[in-house]
This record gives sequence, structure tokens and C-alpha cells, in this order.
Amino acid sequence: MNRLKLPSHLNRRQAIQLLGMSSIGYLLNSCSSEFTAKVGDLTEPLNQSFGELLVKPQLLIPEFAKSAIDPKALLLNSYDGTPEIVGGAFLKENRDKYRLTIDGEVKFPMELNLNALKQLPQTSIIMQHVCVEGWAAIVQWGGVRLRDLAKMVQPKDSARYVLFQSADKYTESWDLASALHPQTILADRMNGEILPDDNGAPLRLATPIKLGYKLSKWVTKVSFVSQIPKGGKGYWEEQGYEWFGGI
Amino acid sequence: MNNKQTKKSPPVPPQTNFVKILHGLIIISLFIMIGSGLQIYNATPVFGGKDGLPFPKWMTLGGWLAGGRNWHFGTMWVFAFTLLIYGIYIFLTQRWKRKFVSGQDLKALKVGQNPKRRIYAWHRIIYTGIIPVLIMAIVSGLAMYKPAQFHWLSWLFIDWQTLRTIHFLTVPISLLFVFVHIIIGIRAGGLRLTRSMFQP
Repeated sequence: MNRLKLPSHLNRRQAIQLLGMSSIGYLLNSCSSEFTAKVGDLTEPLNQSFGELLVKPQLLIPEFAKSAIDPKALLLNSYDGTPEIVGGAFLKENRDKYRLTIDGEVKFPMELNLNALKQLPQTSIIMQHVCVEGWAAIVQWGGVRLRDLAKMVQPKDSARYVLFQSADKYTESWDLASALHPQTILADRMNGEILPDDNGAPLRLATPIKLGYKLSKWVTKVSFVSQIPKGGKGYWEEQGYEWFGGI
Repeated sequence: MNNKQTKKSPPVPPQTNFVKILHGLIIISLFIMIGSGLQIYNATPVFGGKDGLPFPKWMTLGGWLAGGRNWHFGTMWVFAFTLLIYGIYIFLTQRWKRKFVSGQDLKALKVGQNPKRRIYAWHRIIYTGIIPVLIMAIVSGLAMYKPAQFHWLSWLFIDWQTLRTIHFLTVPISLLFVFVHIIIGIRAGGLRLTRSMFQP
């Protein structure tokens, strides 16, 4: 008794049902990448609204303990290796040649060298750096708040996005709210030391509220804009990663 | 063994079309979540990191990481809201009082002599037991989707690796459940019971 009783043969309806169920996986697997992209186009606006809703300038993400810092967990990712910035790997003697350009729809566009950046209020944050690939690392970043730089250049009311250009031609674009979040910084220090070349020296983006691919290394230019230019969403975003990338 | 007993049809619980639709949506969205989830897994395997073993391509959905994320973060709304609507439904219709595992089932297993009743008790235990697993999949997923904004939720899962491991474990548990649920369902009510959940 209670033996599993299966029919010796399937009738048409059952066969169709079984076929339907077992083929779901195969069907989905053979879906074209266009269909996959459509799923993204269809649902990403909802996900983006959800992400934007969560970003509040007055809500700070709690920091981690210093003992939680795990330098080995931070993997090195770049799409084209470490760039040769300002002629040759970014050696200490080249640091005075570096300039950070801030322009776009701002009242006072500027070019700043590292000494000028050092005059600004310094901050640091111990945060979880979350990569889109699924790994995460707790890192301490130190530098200046992007919002302090914005106060200097004074973006016009029309500015809604911020574009970042890097020495390796990597590009990024952000919503203004996330860029002006008090925990978004342009970092020149990592785990208390001067920022290593491979991690984006002399200046890189850091924030606890965005995925790692939004955190450009080797930043050379920050532009406040009213619209993201066509093809300028960002290196990975143009290939299919979501634009907002909030976490 | 006993012809009389096997011929006697067990009562087939009537399913409402509403429940059949929710059940179907959960099956479809669960498999999309698993396929796309394994695609995301492969970008950095939970076990072994970058050196870990990836899942074979035929098990994954989306073609590459961004495609997998499209499916995963698109379907999560269907998956989560189907479960939420189902939760509200069983609450409003009071189904939770009679359709899920109860002390009666445990009693049937402990002292019951009726083998049909015992199988039915197991059937109810199993399909009740999957609900917390699916909820755990959503909660741990949310903690990983917005680890900064929902830091209080991520904090409950100790650290990133533990969080990823728990989220991943809901996959083999769900698959094992699907398998056992089909088998025990057939044993408890024959294919008539299975059909009652799929046929309009």
C-alpha cells in the first residue's frame, strides 16, 4: 500500500502539462539577449524609483568597526588595467602634475591640484564596498566630500546629474542626490594609507550607497550637467548594467 | 497491495482558481529567480570565491551577469508580491486555520493508524514548511539588494559571506522541496490532486 502509483502511460493532456513544466527552464535559457534586455528595460524604472526613494541625504549609513577592515577582500577590477596617468604609473613625483577639473553647469568651474584638495575639510568612512559581481569588502576611504566641492563650484539649478571622467577613459554618470550625499567622497587615502595606484590614485570615488562599478578610479574630471549625453551613461551601463546602481 | 484501498479515491480538495494562478506564478517566478540567481552566483561563486566552481551554463538564465540581474531584479517583484498576496489571501479567508499543518497532523503521525492520513500529514508539513524558506529567500535577498539602505536587515545576517550563503541555500532547499512536494502530493492524492492545482 501507499506505493507511488503512476499511470503506465500519459494521456495527451498530461503529456502536454509535463512537457510545459519541464521546458520552462530550457525555454528561458534559450531566450535571446534582446528579450533579456527588454526585461531590464521593463522593470528597471521600478527598481530605479525604489532605489531613489531610499537615498536620503540626512540618513547616514552606519560605519563599520576599524577591526572589520579586510584589505585582502578588496579585489582589483578595472576594464583596462591601471592607466598610465600623467605619463607613467602614478609615481609620487608626478602628483603635482595632477589636476582635477570641475565644470559643466556650475557658476565657478575650477581646476584643483592635490594641495588645493588637501585644504578642504577631510573626512573618512569605513564602509562596505559591494561589487556587482557579488563580493564585498570593508574598506576605509579618506578624502573630501563631493558636496564640499559642489559648494565651491556652485552647480546651477539646471544641474541634475554628475559625470565622472577617469584617466583610463572610464566614464560614469550619477544622480545629483547620490553625488551630494554626505558620505560620497573623492578619496585619496585607503585604510589610512595613501591611495595605491591600482585602487585609483590619486583620486577615486567612494560611497556606501552605490555598487563598485559606480565608484570610478583615477578620476580627472567632474561635470555637473542637466542631461546625460547619449552614450554617456557610463562604461558598464552602456553595456547593460543598471544605471542607478544604488545599494 | 489491496485493490479496494487503491481504487478508493481520496477526497480531492477543491482549489479556487485564484490559488491556482498564485501557485502557477510562484512556480514560474521561482524558476526564473533560481536560473538568474545562479547566473549572478557564477560572477563570484559563494563557495571558493573567484576560484570556486561555477554552475553549468544550461542552469543559468540571462547570458551574462547584467542579463541575470535583469531577470532577477525584474522577477523578484512578481515572486515577492505573489507570496504577499497569497499571505493576505490565506489570512482573509482564514485558510491558515485549516489548509496548513496543525496539531491534528502531528497527532496523526504520532498515534494515527491510517496510512493515507499519515501521508496527508506529511504532505501538509512539507508544503507548510516551504513558506518560511521562500520568505527567507526574499528577506536575505533584500538584505543583499540594499545592504546599505537596509543595513539593519543585513546586520541580522552577521556578515556578507553568511548572508550570501543563506540566500544561496534557499535554492537547493526549494529544489528539494519541489521534488518532494510532487512525490508526496501524488502519494497523498494521486495525480487527481496534482491536477486539481493546475486545471482551470
